[in-house]
Amino acid sequence: MGSGYLALVLNAHMPFVRRPEYPRFLEERWFFETLSETYLPLLRMFRSLEADGVPFHLTMSVSPTLAAMLGDKVLGDRYVEYLNAQLRLAAAEEERVGADPAFGPLVRMYGALYRADKDDFLELYNRDVLGAFDYFYKKGRVELMTSGATHAFLPIFRDSQEAVIAQVETAIISHRKAFGKNPAGFWLPQLGWYSGVAEVLRAYNVQYTIVTTKGAVLGDPTPRYGSFAPVECPSGLVAFIRDAGGTDAVWSEASGYPADPAYRDFYRDIGFDLPAEYLNGHLEEPGERIFTGFKYWAVTGRSDEKRPYDSVAARARAIKHAELFMAERLASAQAASPLMDRPPLMVCPFDAELFGHWWFEGPIFLETLFRKVAEAGALEAVTLGEYLRAHPTNQVSTPEFSSWGDGGFAEVWLDGSNDWIYRHATKAVERMSELAERFPDESGLRERILNQAAREVLLTMCSDWALLMRAGRSSGFARQQVEAPILNFARIYDMLCSNTVSTEWVTKLEKRNNLFPSINYRMFRKKR
Amino acid sequence: MGAAASLLSLDERHALTSLRHLFQNEPVTIDKLESLTLDELYALADRTGLDLPPGLARPFVIEEVLDVIEEDSEDRRSSQGEALHIDEKKYAELRIDEIDVDPGADESMAQRYNETMVRAIVRDPSWAFAFWDVSDAELESLRGEEGSAGLFLRVVELRGQGDAAEPEGQREYFDIPVADEDLQWYINLPRSGVRFRIDLCARRASQAGKFRVLARSNEVESPRLSLATDPETLGEGACELLSLSGVEELAIEGCADANPRRILQSGSAGAADRAD
Repeated sequence: MGSGYLALVLNAHMPFVRRPEYPRFLEERWFFETLSETYLPLLRMFRSLEADGVPFHLTMSVSPTLAAMLGDKVLGDRYVEYLNAQLRLAAAEEERVGADPAFGPLVRMYGALYRADKDDFLELYNRDVLGAFDYFYKKGRVELMTSGATHAFLPIFRDSQEAVIAQVETAIISHRKAFGKNPAGFWLPQLGWYSGVAEVLRAYNVQYTIVTTKGAVLGDPTPRYGSFAPVECPSGLVAFIRDAGGTDAVWSEASGYPADPAYRDFYRDIGFDLPAEYLNGHLEEPGERIFTGFKYWAVTGRSDEKRPYDSVAARARAIKHAELFMAERLASAQAASPLMDRPPLMVCPFDAELFGHWWFEGPIFLETLFRKVAEAGALEAVTLGEYLRAHPTNQVSTPEFSSWGDGGFAEVWLDGSNDWIYRHATKAVERMSELAERFPDESGLRERILNQAAREVLLTMCSDWALLMRAGRSSGFARQQVEAPILNFARIYDMLCSNTVSTEWVTKLEKRNNLFPSINYRMFRKKR
Repeated sequence: MGAAASLLSLDERHALTSLRHLFQNEPVTIDKLESLTLDELYALADRTGLDLPPGLARPFVIEEVLDVIEEDSEDRRSSQGEALHIDEKKYAELRIDEIDVDPGADESMAQRYNETMVRAIVRDPSWAFAFWDVSDAELESLRGEEGSAGLFLRVVELRGQGDAAEPEGQREYFDIPVADEDLQWYINLPRSGVRFRIDLCARRASQAGKFRVLARSNEVESPRLSLATDPETLGEGACELLSLSGVEELAIEGCADANPRRILQSGSAGAADRAD
């Protein structure tokens, strides 16, 4: 056994955006970009590590909305169209700057990325990306967790227990559908914890979750090992504690690794730099300035004067950062180890999309980290479940209400830009419970309508839209994404109350918001 | 049985188990199991020879029953492919361009629900968010000659629970006057770690000092911002471990200078490396 355990946790999540009624839909590109730059590259990394016999172990949450999108045929078809368009753009760029010594290699790098994605998606995985993750899940390499059905920030709904139960139950069923078994771990969206959520998770046989250092340290009693060992709540749920040092090293906007001058700059993109007439010929969305994914410049520094991106130098930097990350975690483990009766654990949870999509070199960093950790042998990479099997007994403590947002509590999801959501979301939950009580034994059309009502209620609770409203990014779209399910639910509620049902409208709605096919509206019944 | 209920039907080439007989040779599906009551699931588990402890949640019982059916993950995956196929067929009669379910321009969201209520949500140790409503009829009846309903929020601190709870009259509170048209407010809390509720009240214009409680909120508690336990009592090394966990950086009351950062400084071997 080494000096300590390192548990990397990736949260793979995208909010549900699926608009088949339009030939193309801009915000669906978020999913395609992340699939191209993060999920498929991560899978390539797993395969490479496996081929070389590197004993990598990590935990990964696949959110129910992401799972729904990964399993969706319409989005799968559109993803292939997207890849073809990217490859056409690569060909055009080859013609434009292929001979340039700085930019030519970058054009070919992107061309190779999208070709590899297309080959993997169509040939290797036969469009079944969930199956590709499942392969590593079944092998015990990647332990998959689930997360709130629509990524609701649960502390805000703590007094609407049916809503929290619905988020959890729907997630468990979604996970079982995708991967054939119940998840052991539950990723709390935004690491949003409140003490009562432990009982709900335990009722669904969830064994563990993750909380922030602040939430754990403010817990009662104070955890005596700090963040170096998990705590167990009185209900039996284990709360792993985020390692502040490890997450800051990567996550900090100002000083985190991704801000290094050598790395690729995310924001400089030919979609904004090149003349519109050129782009119009090659983009799916003529007339709109959008991120194309073709980015040729390095972070460089704070100025707008950027240097061309040098992928060789960036790769070397990512390897250096992986070594540094390991050295710092090892130093931390060695300092903590003599003070504990077990090897210290460092849990480092990140959004998966950071690796590849935002931080282009992130997959290189991760792959190097796993290789170096295996080589050095001083730290052991574990999944959270593996740690629990090795150390089943932990200090009993209940963490305090907390999240990983700014300030550590709820201010990101509850401020002047987004607080209007909660009057309507909590009302929808209350009315959904009322409907479930009034119509507990429905079948046929009425059951379908009630199930669609339940989907719409879950969609109103999504924390991503609240976050975008606060950030002022795509806020009009975000607002519409919350208002639409509120209106849809209100319409269904009125239909059921007045007993006048528009079958056609409900069927269309079912077809568009088609996530969670096995949803059961009865989960909104009051718990007695 | 609708098309949706066929989702995830397990591969019929396999699964020659007793469960098949229980379902009269129809494929066993998660959805079917999901449609059973907890008692029925337990009965089913019993008949297949499973000995389950009482009190399990439904998904767990379903999981156990499914585990009885011996099939490997490949089969489950291929059956999911079928499921998608069935899902497509279910909607085959509808063309994509027919889906237009966006709310029309004339449809706008109700801003309120015309009911008398108040609800509290804790935001952080210093702030809570309250939203409320007074039904049109009630507001009308409250409005006196001055035209104002004299609404205010009373933030009532709650100490002790059950028999140990303070009598209502002895509780500490503070009032926040609000206008008739206000519907929400952020409330600055006097300190962290306090349990409270919010009463939506209306002054009686005719009787000075008298008021009516129109609605009472849920009870909420703001998070504490100090350590629950004196770290010195947690055992040897606990202070150092908390320091190594970065507790000084967390804006926790009383922790800023609790421990020197010497361990962190001597411990981070690569810190100097970062700057190059």
